[in-house]
Amino acid sequence: MTPSSNPSSAPEKEPVAGACPQCGAEELARYPVLAGGGWFMVLKCQRCLHSVSREPWHRLGYIKLGRAEL
Amino acid sequence: VTTAARRLVGVDVGGTFTDVIAIDDGRLVASKVPTDVYASETSVLQGAEEVGVGDAQVFNLASTAGLNAIITRRIAKVAFLTTYGHRDILDRGHLWRPFEAMTDPSWRRGVGDQGRPLVPRYLRRGIVERIDRRGELLIELDEAQARAEIELVAECSVEGVAICLINSYANPAHEQRLRELVREVMGDEVACSISSEVSPLAKEYPRASTTVVDLLMKLKYSEYTDRLEAGLAELGFAGEFNYADCSAMLLPASYAMERPYRLVVGGPAAGTIAGAHFGTYLGQSDLLCADVGGTSCDISVVRDGAPWLNSTFDIEWDLIVNALATEIVTIGAGGGSIVSVGRSGELLVGPDSAGADPGPACYGKGATAPTVTDAALVMGVLAPDRFLGGRMPLDRERAIAAFESLDTSLPFGERVRQAWMIGLHNIADGVADLAIRRGLDARDHSLIAFGAAGPMLLPSLLDVLPLESVIVPPNPGGFSAAGLLSADRVFSESRTLYGILRPELLPKIAAVVEELESGLLARADVDPADATITRSFDGRLFGQSWDTPFVPIPSGTLDDRAITAMVNAFHEEYERRNGTRFDWLPVEGVTYRVQIVVPSDKVEYEPLPPRDGELRASGTIVLAHLEGGDVDALTYERDALATGDKIAGPAIVHEETSTTFVPPGRTATVGPYGELHVV
Repeated sequence: MTPSSNPSSAPEKEPVAGACPQCGAEELARYPVLAGGGWFMVLKCQRCLHSVSREPWHRLGYIKLGRAEL
Repeated sequence: VTTAARRLVGVDVGGTFTDVIAIDDGRLVASKVPTDVYASETSVLQGAEEVGVGDAQVFNLASTAGLNAIITRRIAKVAFLTTYGHRDILDRGHLWRPFEAMTDPSWRRGVGDQGRPLVPRYLRRGIVERIDRRGELLIELDEAQARAEIELVAECSVEGVAICLINSYANPAHEQRLRELVREVMGDEVACSISSEVSPLAKEYPRASTTVVDLLMKLKYSEYTDRLEAGLAELGFAGEFNYADCSAMLLPASYAMERPYRLVVGGPAAGTIAGAHFGTYLGQSDLLCADVGGTSCDISVVRDGAPWLNSTFDIEWDLIVNALATEIVTIGAGGGSIVSVGRSGELLVGPDSAGADPGPACYGKGATAPTVTDAALVMGVLAPDRFLGGRMPLDRERAIAAFESLDTSLPFGERVRQAWMIGLHNIADGVADLAIRRGLDARDHSLIAFGAAGPMLLPSLLDVLPLESVIVPPNPGGFSAAGLLSADRVFSESRTLYGILRPELLPKIAAVVEELESGLLARADVDPADATITRSFDGRLFGQSWDTPFVPIPSGTLDDRAITAMVNAFHEEYERRNGTRFDWLPVEGVTYRVQIVVPSDKVEYEPLPPRDGELRASGTIVLAHLEGGDVDALTYERDALATGDKIAGPAIVHEETSTTFVPPGRTATVGPYGELHVV
């Protein structure tokens, strides 16, 4: 997923195949979240909300600056 | 040292060593075994066997196993159920920051979701319900939604469930029903703690964190206690088994398992109890206590014959437990505190410690950094062949080499002398801070010096802090462990009831106190005639948001005069704690407490007979690097001292577990129980 200049109020969730290692539900999705430590791209179970993975995302989230290196 | 009649065993489980102490017909037996951090009950049983627990009548245990589990997060996987919309109270805490992090944007709360939470966010679930602050129903408990959430956490294989609903202290019905649902879904055996039973007090965050800690301790200690009881039975023990709580008071094991959060910090307060108990022999009810070990110096206060308690304590920053706990200030100044050179070329002492392994350079275990113990050895305060009763020779050459290796232009003697003085001033700062914060004038207080390094360092405090005296008790190295044999058995409960103290509130107060007392008496299974019942309340001035704890409530039937007495007592206690009073402001009661104290057998200190003959020194040494240069000093054996002996400083008093340094210009007088009064 790349930063968009026109984000909707709800994140676009990308369904991911596989089962949650905690509750076993096959309802995984990947999407960006803003938390205390900044923006993260998370892979979360949509049933129990366990975070399967959590990687730092773009520092400014959806905001896209003119200079690509930023 | 002796006991009333029965044989007592006390065990203090530390992070590195487990100390075991037994007193039998006046004979003190001590043992030390390495702590098995993964199965500390094996260390307890090993130590208990070494002192012969089989024929003991009382076995008292202080354990830091629960604290270590929480600090290292070697904890069970548990779920947390709370009112819908409030699941992040555990993440948010009080929103307090430490002073040093006030302007640090990268600071994160250690127990929050950005740190290492006790319960991960996905296992904290919101339940649709709401009860208001008066205990009246606002939103019905949605049982279908609650059941679905419980089924979800059950599928995640949690070992237990903590429940803390908003305002449940005022009406526990929803929490109790939720617990039933948890048991229906997960089985009757699942561990479950509900806040209205664990700590039915207002303020949801401390109540929630206490409930989670209670659940974790329940999971930690219930099997632990079973294994321990079985092991003790195999060793032939059939007496009373007590745990020490956060104020080192004793809780019978079965009672402790009902509120295991009280056991989370069992050890450090024992020294303060020992100080309070020994103070009764000296006729001193107000004392400062300092326990100096290898790593740190624990400073605490005894006031009116009892340890200074707080109604809550922090396990780590903003991880709060609603348990009565002795207030202890810990500073990184012990025998193993490392001497280093700061960025400006100044000498620093601590807070890093060499610990027991590799220990100070003079231990010869490979450490090269100098420590306070190395300084004491180089100065001549410690004798290389007398450490740990002579079982562990110290290497003076390594200590000298360690100081020589410091990257500083200071001459050698200055390095040693300054290291000693900085270590001393660090402790003096800690003592002065605690005394001033509690409104105590150090000049009116004696300081009890114990721990293996306490008698070596603390008498010199008299040169930098205006204390009345420094008292070195008998057996200072084992004094803290003896605190486990110096406490009473205590049963306590508390309940929140908000209300301005007026006669109209009296029936409600009386009902709460009566309910707490009758419940405790039934649980303690003791005759009221054999116990002391104390009542108190936490109150605040109208408009305040923080409480003044432990204000006495009159005994007997509560009548209109009781309210006046409570208001007056509040203002007295407020002034005692804060140095000022506001008689014109109304007083609001917040939490009501009842404590039942059942006297236990304790250590008794035998009077030491006066001298028959002349006091003789055992030798002469040269003390080096003191202010004013090298001086000759006499050495004495503590076993050979008698009541009334006077020792002029500089002098050294040797004994098995410690070394006392009487500084130049000071005098140590042997008191009636063998204690040294240094003035």
